[in-house]
Parts: sequence; C-alpha cells; structure tokens
Amino acid sequence: MRLLNPIAPTTFLVRNLGKTIPLVSVIILAVMLVQSIIALINSIPFSIRTIYRYTDAMLGVSPRGDTSQTPFLVKDLVENSPVPIDRAMFCRASATQVKSIVGKWPFVTIGLKPDDLQYYLKRQGSTKLEGRLPKVGAPEAVISRPVATNLQLKLGDVLMGPEVDGMYSPMEVKIVGIAETDRWVMVNDIDYQKANHFPPIDLAIICAKNRADQDKLDAWAQERVKGKRAQVFAYREVEKDAQTMFEILYQILNAVIAILTIVITLMVGMLMNIYQSQRLVEFGLLQAIGHTKRTLVKRVLSEACLVIIIGWILGLGAAQGLLRVLKRILMEPRAFALDLNDPLSFAYTVPIPICILVVSFATIMIRFKKFDPVAVVERRIV
Amino acid sequence: MIEAAGLSLVYSDHGREVYACKDVSLRIETSEFLGILGPSGSGKSSLLYLLSGLKDPSHGKVLYNGAPIHDLSDEERSQLRRREFGFVFQQPYLLGYMTALENVLSVAPDKADQLKDRAIDLLDALGLAEKADRLPHTLSGGERQRVCIARALVTDPKVIFADEPTAALDHKNGVNVMEILNRHRGNGALVMVTHDPSMLEHANRIVRIQDGELVVETG
Repeated sequence: MRLLNPIAPTTFLVRNLGKTIPLVSVIILAVMLVQSIIALINSIPFSIRTIYRYTDAMLGVSPRGDTSQTPFLVKDLVENSPVPIDRAMFCRASATQVKSIVGKWPFVTIGLKPDDLQYYLKRQGSTKLEGRLPKVGAPEAVISRPVATNLQLKLGDVLMGPEVDGMYSPMEVKIVGIAETDRWVMVNDIDYQKANHFPPIDLAIICAKNRADQDKLDAWAQERVKGKRAQVFAYREVEKDAQTMFEILYQILNAVIAILTIVITLMVGMLMNIYQSQRLVEFGLLQAIGHTKRTLVKRVLSEACLVIIIGWILGLGAAQGLLRVLKRILMEPRAFALDLNDPLSFAYTVPIPICILVVSFATIMIRFKKFDPVAVVERRIV
Repeated sequence: MIEAAGLSLVYSDHGREVYACKDVSLRIETSEFLGILGPSGSGKSSLLYLLSGLKDPSHGKVLYNGAPIHDLSDEERSQLRRREFGFVFQQPYLLGYMTALENVLSVAPDKADQLKDRAIDLLDALGLAEKADRLPHTLSGGERQRVCIARALVTDPKVIFADEPTAALDHKNGVNVMEILNRHRGNGALVMVTHDPSMLEHANRIVRIQDGELVVETG
C-alpha cells in the first residue's frame, strides 16, 4: 500500500470509498437530473428558433385587409430602407406543419418564381440540391434536409395533398428536390400556389444586401408599418415569442429546481454529518497528539470541497452522456433540436454545489467549535 | 522541565464542586520516568491532561521550560504537543484507514519523508516490521498499542505522556509494552499514570494520588 499523508484531504476519501462514493453519487445524480431537465425543456424554445430560423435571412411582408396593398408596401419599404436591399420577391404561401417535441407546429410552403426560388434557396444556405427544382405550375416542391428528416420524407413522396393531415393542397404535391442546408425550408412554384391556394394574397420577401443588416432592416420595418394595414414577419419576433411563451413554465421550473436543490442539500448535509460523527475519535486523536483545530477544520472542509466539486464535474459529464444518448436516439431521427452546450442548463446546476458547500461548511464549523479532544481520549466519546 | 504549581481542576456536579485535582504541585525532570499511581477515579488522568496542556486548570499553572503552557493559544499548545510531547492513551487509538506505518507518521505528516526510516526502525524494534503495511483491524490489541508507542516516539519527544497504556492489555503484554516504552524513550521524560504498581518497575519516582490530591511521593 502506498504511503499517504494521513491528514491530506484526499487520504480519507481514497481510503474510504464506501463513504465517498455514495456522497459523490448523490451529487452526480442531482446535477445530472437538473442539467438534463433544463436542457430538455430548453430544447422546446430552441426547436422553435431552429424551425423558424429561415426568417432571419429575410423580412416577410403581408397586407391586412386590403390584398392589393402589397406592391405599395414593398415599394415604400425598399425605397426608404436604411440598409441596401438585395432583392424583394413577391410570393404566395400555404399552411403546412412540422413535428416538434411538443407536437405539431405551423409551418409554411412558400411559392416563388423560378429565379426567386433559386435565390431563396441560396439565401437559406443551400449548398447542394438533391433532385431538381419544381416545374412552373406543377404540383412539386423542394424541402430542406431537416424537413425531410422531421417528416420522414424522401424524393417522390407527397408533401401536401387533399388527404394529408394539416397540409392540404387540392393536388398531391410531390417532393422533387431536397436542399442541403440546416435551415427548415419548404418551397414550390408560385403559379401552382396562385392556382390552388386561397385567399389570393400576395406576400413579399425583402432581403438586405448584407446579411448582417437584415435585423436592422427588420427592426426598422416593424416600426415603419406600426399602425398601418400591414404586418411584417421577422426572426426577432420569433426570438421574442419563444422567450415570452415559456416565462410561466420557467417560473414553475425555478420553484421545482429550488426544492430539488434544498432536498439534495439536506440529504448530502445529513450524510456528511453522519460521516463526521463517525470520525469523532479520529478528530479527537489527531487533535490530542498535536494537530491544530485549524488544520483539522481545513482538512475536513477540503474533503467536503473535493467531494462536491468532483460530484459536480462528474454530474455535468454524466448529464452530457445522457443528453448525447437522448439526442442520438430521440432527437436526431426527427431533427429535433437539443443544445448539449446550453449555458442555462449548466447555470442551473451551480446552486447545487454552492448550497451543499454552505451547509457542509456550517455543519463542520459548528461541530469543531464545540469539539473537545479530551472527551475522546478519556473515552467519553467512543 | 515541567513544573506544576497549585494545580486544581474543579467540576460542578449538580451544583456541588468536585475536585478532579486539588492543589497539586510537582516537578518533572529531563529524562525522568515519573509514575503517577492511583485507583480508578482518583484524578490521575486529569492530572496527566493538565500537565500536557490538553486540559485547562481551574487554578494554578504548568510551566514547560519555564513558560506557562496554559497562557498559550489553543493553536500554540497544539503545536507544543506535536513538537515536544508524545502521547500513549489507554485505548490503542489508531486511524482505521491508515497502515501501521502511516499511523506512526500521522503525528508529523509534514516530516513523513524524514521520519520514515525512524518509523520503520521503531516498528522493527517493537516487533512489527512485517506488519508495517497492515491496517489496524488486522492487528491484535498488543500490536496496536505498540504502534501507538511508535507514534509517540517517532518525533523523539522531550516528554512522553502515557495514560494507562497497559490497561487494555493482559499482564504479560503490559509488562512487555512498558519495557519497550522505557527502552525506546531515549532522553525523553516519561510521565505515566496507572493503577497497577507492577507497571512502574522502571520508574525513577512514583507519586500517589487519591481523590485528586498527591498523598505520597516515593523516590
């Protein structure tokens, strides 16, 4: 057996794995549970942002009430834009759906002219197209890879049709192309949309010349149409909605995590207290033979710190492992978004080690304040 | 070396004052083996703990090399105990998760490398060379007490305080432990309390204690 420093904080932990492992395990499980819950809950707004991220490449413009107003709206926005405009495209859209972790979410198939459609796919980061673009007026569509994964569709499958639930179209619209991009995209030909989808509202898409200016354009356009018979669709709204719609859920979650942290803290604090009680003879002996109270307190505090920090780090590792498995088995096959490095999920685990540290420190300080080594060597404590 | 003057320790027992030690004065010289003999409950252990600075007296003082021990802070007194004193208690207290050798070195972990050879020599001299790597639960009571003696001696202390070190052992093992302790203490003084006079065969001086008071001193 290797010679160890008897009062090094690691010595007790290494030589008493029967006590160290349960303590560390409780912390690991708590951290893993909290981080996994938060990461999974956060995957809902993250999914929303991922599904609708295509809107960050464009500004959507729609009239209210008067369907003939779209060209005037577009003219006004393009001529007065604070940033250079790359392209303004007229389009028609029809409602579709995609699947998410919490059920179906509304999506849209955008009908565009052939050259606009090519531009739009490029704008959405498409690097390659498997198949081809839709023919003019034909019931054909192009979807992006995440949509194909999400809806389990391939080339030749029906995207929309008279009997497709939530994705109605009078004819069966078949997939003729799958675009390689991480954006969620469904596009078809504008003439097919005009002939088959009602009401006949012309919408518009306006793209800033510089992608970095798109948000500036969106913000300006929101202010520009405020109070007018028009509305704009911008990614910043998606972000805002994804934030606000889960506010109550996060408040409930905060309460649940707080209770969980208190329970875990009490549990670990109690275990540490029991283990310390079992070590009174050790503390008494070491103090009697000349180790100072400060040395012993420092040692026990260091042991607590080590257990807590190791438990926390391993807990984060275990959560990563669990989330990776969940992502691979549950999320990726449906193109559901799950951020393994979600900073909020890490942040939610921080109170666990802090609370345990505070309780452990308090317990240790109280115990040593009253501790009398003579009581041990006189066998008043055995 | 150690001088106690008017040393008293008073407990309150249901409002009644009980003297564990009463007005004890004595001197302990360098290298001396002083035996403190008394029946159970006579206050001999309390006197030992007062002399070693483990307990604070109600009255009187203890001087170590002319300096009052009880004026030192708790931390300074701990350091004094660790550097200058060695302790053997009635029970063979050892750290259960440390080997015999590590237990011996537990008194001075900061000097473990320097003291390792001496610790091994001591264990060898005490007949435990083969068991240096064994954990305490695999040792007999006598062997554990010998490890405690090695721990008390490893820093070459100026004074060794022994509180009935043979109490938990049979007579043969007790005599053996006393011989070992006396043989290996070098120039260190030995202050030992016991109720068994046969364990003080090698003592230079024996004081008797009764109801907390020194009653007889023999040369």
